[in-house]
Amino acid sequence: MGQGKSQFTDEELQDYQDLTYFTKKEVLHAHHKFKALAPEKVGHNKNAKLPMVKILQYPELSVNPFGERICMIFSSSQDGDCTFEDFLDMMSVFSETSPKSVKAEHAFRIFDFDGDDMLGVSDLMKVVNKLTGDKKLSESEMNMVIQNILEEADLDDDGSLSFAEFEHITDRSSDFLRSGMTMLISCGPYTRRFHNNIINDT
Amino acid sequence: MDVIKCDCKFSASFRTSQVMSGGANRKKASRSQGWEEAGSEFYQESYPIDADIEVLQKDPKHLATLLPSKQNRTAAATIRHRTNDTRTNNRTVRRRTATHSRRDSTVQRRASAAGEVQVSMLPDLSEMRTNEQTSWEEIMQIKTLPLPMREKKEMKAKILNEPNLRLQGYEQFNWKRRKMWGVLESRLRESFNEMELWKGALKHIEGNFGTGVVAFFLFLKWLFLLNTVIFFFLFLFITLPTILLDYERLVNCPYNATCCAEGYFNETLSENNVFLDLIQGTGILERTILFYGFYSNKTLSYSLGLLQMYYNLPLAYLLIIILCFAISLVAIIRSAAKGFRERLIEGEGQFYQYCNLVFGGWDFCIDNEKAARIKHKALYSEIRANLETEKIKEEKQSRTTQEKCRIVFCRFIVNTVVLAILAGCACLIYLVFDFSTNKLAESTSRTQTKELFFEFLPSMTIVSLNIVVPFTFTFLISFEKYTPMTVIKLSLIRMVFLKLSSLIVFYMSLWRKITCNKVDESQCVACDEIPVCWETFVGQQIFKLLLTDFGTQIVITFVINFARSQLARHFDNKIIKFLGEQTFDLPKHALDIVYMQNLCWYGIFYMPMLSFMAAVIFLLMFYVKKFACLVNCKPSSVIYRASRSNSMFMLVLLVAYAFAIIPIAFFFAELTPSKSCGPFRDKGSVWGLIVDLFKRTPEWLQSVIFFLSTAGFAVPCIIVLLLFLYYYTAVNSANKHLVEVLKNQLVLEGHDKQFLLDRLSLFIKQDNQKRARAEQNGGRGDANT
Repeated sequence: MGQGKSQFTDEELQDYQDLTYFTKKEVLHAHHKFKALAPEKVGHNKNAKLPMVKILQYPELSVNPFGERICMIFSSSQDGDCTFEDFLDMMSVFSETSPKSVKAEHAFRIFDFDGDDMLGVSDLMKVVNKLTGDKKLSESEMNMVIQNILEEADLDDDGSLSFAEFEHITDRSSDFLRSGMTMLISCGPYTRRFHNNIINDT
Repeated sequence: MDVIKCDCKFSASFRTSQVMSGGANRKKASRSQGWEEAGSEFYQESYPIDADIEVLQKDPKHLATLLPSKQNRTAAATIRHRTNDTRTNNRTVRRRTATHSRRDSTVQRRASAAGEVQVSMLPDLSEMRTNEQTSWEEIMQIKTLPLPMREKKEMKAKILNEPNLRLQGYEQFNWKRRKMWGVLESRLRESFNEMELWKGALKHIEGNFGTGVVAFFLFLKWLFLLNTVIFFFLFLFITLPTILLDYERLVNCPYNATCCAEGYFNETLSENNVFLDLIQGTGILERTILFYGFYSNKTLSYSLGLLQMYYNLPLAYLLIIILCFAISLVAIIRSAAKGFRERLIEGEGQFYQYCNLVFGGWDFCIDNEKAARIKHKALYSEIRANLETEKIKEEKQSRTTQEKCRIVFCRFIVNTVVLAILAGCACLIYLVFDFSTNKLAESTSRTQTKELFFEFLPSMTIVSLNIVVPFTFTFLISFEKYTPMTVIKLSLIRMVFLKLSSLIVFYMSLWRKITCNKVDESQCVACDEIPVCWETFVGQQIFKLLLTDFGTQIVITFVINFARSQLARHFDNKIIKFLGEQTFDLPKHALDIVYMQNLCWYGIFYMPMLSFMAAVIFLLMFYVKKFACLVNCKPSSVIYRASRSNSMFMLVLLVAYAFAIIPIAFFFAELTPSKSCGPFRDKGSVWGLIVDLFKRTPEWLQSVIFFLSTAGFAVPCIIVLLLFLYYYTAVNSANKHLVEVLKNQLVLEGHDKQFLLDRLSLFIKQDNQKRARAEQNGGRGDANT
């Protein structure tokens, strides 16, 4: 962490602390993790832009079925490549301290694959397919699932979920806050070991 | 002016609407110049009609995206993204014209009614200029915006660059204090986060097993902290004063009814080897601060210079024990209430089951391939299981009478068998306890190992029954054809009853051993069979049981289950795989922990330092269970939800609490403490101490308390409570009805919206066709001339 410190000025850190849900220390830790994804490049330029493939090596993102979608949403250049600031934004939204409304806003954008600001049937199908992974539900099962979701949440009965309807669900689901949309930046021994491995490999 | 321009463009296709909206805007414009500017700003932001009008003409369906409810949200997010440059320009303009609205517009960016936003956009001249406080608050608001960091930085810089009013006097002080407080809070949070116990381990488990299993470990940690707090209180207020102040111990007194205590303390201890004493709590451990018997019934005194201070140990002992139970109860209720509120908010029962599954299904903490694969599989099977359940429900309705009868009969039989097994277990424990105590009492020439065997026989019986019987229950429940969720709940309830009923039998047999019908005032002990200090004896029994249980946990985890998992890992054989592979069975492990906690609660009166042992045991149990989870088990395909499992733990813990407090209360009220030892040696019952204390209070207090206990107070009190209950149920049902009505209205509104949009798009289409035809005609006309 000592290395990371020298790369930022105090003002920058203050900015990051004010504009994210992190403390300065956590910002540095996040940078440490970012650096672990591409040590040389980031060592050279602290705010280097890493291609999506590199970002997706972050353990939680690599296995997350929505990993690519998340990168796309947070990338400031809209192509999935992320700078450190984008990465920090991402981690800030997924941190424990960020409020439910912010998480809901981003979750909605992640699930809204076609970008029409509505979760339509095709969006929902994609979400379910990503969730189940290699095994796919049969067509009738899929239709039943979609139908059930719409029955539960589509309040105005227009065949797709608007943001208001989506927020209505997330407000009532405690799992959404606790397990969905929360990744921890922690300094546990396990993660540290993991990153050492990455550093050793490269 | 932009508005009017927009409207004019729009009016090319809508002659009728132009008259209305355009007219209205013009009126506004003439009324106030400043508002008009801000308003136009707003309209341009919210209804970017310029850009979309062409798309609209091509695809009328696109009209829906122009609805105010959509625009308000996206104004801050997506559109800002798309037209980045103009947006920043706009923002500066807006800042100049309507500074005040800046914060509001971010906060209320989701206000659904456009009218509301308009109101907040009105520039209030008195609040045109910002001060330090508002600008700070604005900066704090920036982070809720879904914008890239660069833009957030720009926004922050802009806010900072603006001329600020410095706050004066008290306001300045107040603001400084709040800011300091905020900084301090974040510092504290940071350092607290670093100190957090087992953070790495919890994260590791979360990555592999998901949040449901982590909830169990958090529960374990919670219990560890609870026991530490209890230990802290007991040590500080009971043990420490005894160690420091109570030194006079050895008084020469013949062993008779007048000085039983001296007799007890001078009695020679049994000569065992040290190891046996350590695990049984006898010998060198018996007359120490560990057990009830050691504590004095005196009011301790301490002179500090001229000041003479007194410490009433028996009273402290009683009050601290009651306090510990109160703390536990409050902690449980608080934790359970939190879960309960969440469940209430989540709606009636399974209301959002599919939405929860799909939108909150993925655990974002999962960080490795293997766990991810299992999670995918689990989600797949959960979705299928949900669909399956629905089918089962449908099937249930279409069951024939014959099938129904068969299932009911089957369930009846199984329940009878379960009850029989429970009763059998209870009998067995009782008999074994009787047998072993008799054996211990009668035989004089016994070897040490034999004695040890009989000492531990009851504990071992209880523990082994707890291992064997649950398997029988899981086997039996498969015949009953319940839905998977019911199966989990039902088997948990049965297991709870098994564990706790065996405890009750244990308590009963202890009770039989320590009471006696004879009332002989002249003797220290009423009957010869009763131990001289029976409270210490009970403490020793609990101590042994707890140790046995902990030892079994260790043996099962590190020897048996570890061997099973290793076998399953290294041999590719179906039978071995079946025998060896284990999943982390959450209810069972939770029950192990709850059972231990029950013993601890029950034991702290008889053995105050049991709380220390409990804290240590729970500390070690964390590692034992972590090993069981990470090394022995593979992730389960049953999805445990964090919210649900936590409320389940608390419910079971509450039952265990009740089971612990009933015998304690019984002892307080009914049993006579032994005359030879302990703080209550000269009282008829523990409750007698309270009665004595009550008699010493002033007259008026006595009458008040007396009045509180009469029917004259209790009956009106109950009636008032019932009225309140009735009132809230009535309000609740009225609200429920209102929710139903509003929901229906929402659907109707949605249909109306759809209908209007359809009509509108149809209209646009017709208009387009008409215009095209007119152009064609016009062209033809031109050609003709």
